[in-house]
Amino acid sequence: MELLEFAVEKALELGADYAEARFEEKTGTHLAMKNGSPEGLSILADRGIGVRVLVDGGMGFASTNVLTKESISEAVKKAVKLAKAASQVRNEPIRFSEENFHRVSYKVKMKKDIRDVSPEEKLELLRKIEEEVKATGVNVPMRYLMYSDELWKKEIVTSEGAYVKSKIPRVSVVYNLVVFENGQMEQAPFVQRAFSGGFELLERDEPWNWAVKDVKALKRLIAEGRKPPEGKVDLVISPEVAGIAVHESVGHPYEADRIFGREAAQAGESFVKPDMLGERIGSEVVTVIDDPTIPNSWGFYLYDDEGVKARPRYLIRDGIINEFLTNREYAYKLGQHSNAAARAINYNREPIVRMANTYLAPGDYSFEELIEDIKLGVYMVSFNEWNIDDRRYQQRYIGREAYLIENGEIKHPVKRPILEITTRALWSSVDAVGKEVEFYPGTCGKGEPGQGVPVWMGGAHARLRNILLRY
Amino acid sequence: MFDLNDFILRKAKELGFGDVVVLGYETNRRQVRFANNEITVAKYWHERKVELFVEKDKRIANTTITELSRENIERVLKTLKKNIEGLSPKEDYYGIAEGPFRYEDIPETFDKSIVELDEPNEYVERAINAALERGARRVAGVLYTDHDRIYLTTSNGVEAFDEGTGIEISVRAFIGDLESGHGTNSVRVLRKFDPESAGRKAGEIASLARNPEQGPEGRFDVIFDPLAFANLLSYMSFMTSAYAAEAGFSPFVNRLGQKVANEIVTVKDVGNLPNGYGTRKFDDEGVPTRETTIIENGTFRTFLLNTSLARKYGVETTANAGLIMPHAWNIVLEPGDYSREELFGEVKRGIYITNVWYTRFQNYVTGDFSTIPRDGIFLIENGELKPIRNIRVSDNLLGILDRVKAMGRETHHVHWWEVRTPVTAPYVLVKDVGITRATK
Repeated sequence: MELLEFAVEKALELGADYAEARFEEKTGTHLAMKNGSPEGLSILADRGIGVRVLVDGGMGFASTNVLTKESISEAVKKAVKLAKAASQVRNEPIRFSEENFHRVSYKVKMKKDIRDVSPEEKLELLRKIEEEVKATGVNVPMRYLMYSDELWKKEIVTSEGAYVKSKIPRVSVVYNLVVFENGQMEQAPFVQRAFSGGFELLERDEPWNWAVKDVKALKRLIAEGRKPPEGKVDLVISPEVAGIAVHESVGHPYEADRIFGREAAQAGESFVKPDMLGERIGSEVVTVIDDPTIPNSWGFYLYDDEGVKARPRYLIRDGIINEFLTNREYAYKLGQHSNAAARAINYNREPIVRMANTYLAPGDYSFEELIEDIKLGVYMVSFNEWNIDDRRYQQRYIGREAYLIENGEIKHPVKRPILEITTRALWSSVDAVGKEVEFYPGTCGKGEPGQGVPVWMGGAHARLRNILLRY
Repeated sequence: MFDLNDFILRKAKELGFGDVVVLGYETNRRQVRFANNEITVAKYWHERKVELFVEKDKRIANTTITELSRENIERVLKTLKKNIEGLSPKEDYYGIAEGPFRYEDIPETFDKSIVELDEPNEYVERAINAALERGARRVAGVLYTDHDRIYLTTSNGVEAFDEGTGIEISVRAFIGDLESGHGTNSVRVLRKFDPESAGRKAGEIASLARNPEQGPEGRFDVIFDPLAFANLLSYMSFMTSAYAAEAGFSPFVNRLGQKVANEIVTVKDVGNLPNGYGTRKFDDEGVPTRETTIIENGTFRTFLLNTSLARKYGVETTANAGLIMPHAWNIVLEPGDYSREELFGEVKRGIYITNVWYTRFQNYVTGDFSTIPRDGIFLIENGELKPIRNIRVSDNLLGILDRVKAMGRETHHVHWWEVRTPVTAPYVLVKDVGITRATK
């Protein structure tokens, strides 16, 4: 705290118009198990301070992991110097929106503190997945399992009076399972279960049940899977598939820094333009929300890394583009207040506009009601391959587990149905949304150097009409 | 920093650890990011840290120490000891390399003038201007300068030091929303740095890409620009790690000695490549880096290995440690003998893809994947380039390698946001590449 105030004061002394100093400490353990064999223990212990300044409308950032006044002073000098030089190569100065700031401290509680659980007990969680998968009798020759827990401590001080202190533990299990049956190979890669909170959340979630469900489904897919139906059909997407779709084709293109071109050379720009606020992009049943404040969510935070208080962001409301994700720089450009989307993954990264927990808001259909009038369709439960162009308009999701729907009933598995569709067509094709919401974790990639941030993606089931699937 | 390494090694041995590897880093990195022809942010990083690997009775652990006081180091070592004593052993752990080794200086990996460079913004402006002169309206990108010192000490007699520099730029030029081009330049010594070449290429491709039309679908002969093919090879490099193969992330599993590519395809990992952005004198256990042929005339020769994995399979290490996961340093696709013009002359009707991103796999073991062309994409018809847009490469990695028909004779060293492992590649012509597009 003292070092942070020192950094901010030093920056102002050196001529900064704005200064923000952020201390982050990450501690934790990572474990892996490969084909039943423990791969060893990795202990995380990282900490440092990052300083971001505005000088004459130019932005500079510097960080150090040497936590002495001397080293921090050096970092501040560098940040100010870089900002000054950068201001010479700008067409217009960077300005920040006006915000109300707070002095707050918050933390996520753990019922079972990750620091009190031995590495061997953590490994038991992976061993349980091994055993349960083996007990299914499915041939799974390649099994790679990862456990991680991290405790993120953060303190932010800005020259405009914000002080935010937070402590957020995060726990995660990831598995890669390769099923080999009847000479055919199918895979459930990088499947993750993850929360902010204590060890008890993973225990309660029972990740081994997810793994068992996956290998059984893949075995059945190999044995009974058929080609997806040809021609236009109806498609029901699960909360997992709806989650990746809202993340890729709603969350990302609504990031204001992309809209204004700041990420153009990396993650790209956006098909969405500032004047598209208020424009229809989907059917009336489509509402998409990004909400950092969901308790125990993987993307959880209450104040962003510029010190702005977080709230749910309604990106699409009833099919209409409602708001973008903003930080202070782009809120200013839009003439708005920031909606607290500025996140940095560590002390050595600048805060940039990010999602947190993005989801398709629930409608009022039960699952049975969603499928009862479908004559011929496909139910896509999970996906493997996916991608989208860098303007976020042409996307593709390939089903891992999927089934034929015939005359309102779920039938045999279908192999690799491919939804390859434009964003506008995707959200305009939705005519009904389910009642129940589920979330799935992921790591959202953006920024340079890369900043993989934890996010949840999810929502309710959705029914899309008249879709031509590839296979 | 070797004093610190020696202290850590001594204390670790006192605590009863067997194999110990201490890898100290001092890094100074600078970044200038730009977009819309202006600098969006400039950054500087100073880091001092030690990566520590310890083993005791086949139980292994690693950590990174950033608080380097002797008290903290002793505390970390005691914590590691306490944590791994109760842990199950890694039964297939077979140790680290026996040193000491002799290290050769690798040309063009250090340049004092990069260390002393005060202000790199001039290079950014030169790159932006080069793109604007070629017709671009908006230019975005990033410039880095790097200065790293690495200090390695192991319990098997290794003491090794390496110091390296680098400077690189990545430039993306736009005309409208749909017309863009990309160029990169990554070098280790300042005299070879050519930011204008990246800007020119980006601007030229953007200019050629004006008014693109919806692209076709089907099977096409495709010329991949070095930037585009480097992306595929960078993903492939991960799959050539023995660790990735065991973990179920590789189509090369059970294919040693088998044909995995067309016979004109030879892929190497060159850890000691002069002027290579991933070049280092030694790997993480001190073995001098070298040239390793992964695919030789279409035949898969070896996975990338560290000492432990090599001993497991009864072969020699390829000097690619990663103590947990071996990884490539610089991937090199051996060039062919076509000039660029001759290569394009081979294609009566096909597609030229200048860049790709978002490469994702449906199945890592079979190699089924798709990737999205971005920046200029062109239909090649009777020697003419017609700009197209909104297509996807949907194919199989081994299938692509098998259908390589011809390669250019000039290579380009590529390293940027989407190509994390540096790759040297020529223009590559691949037959019958699967191309898809949105159905609605």
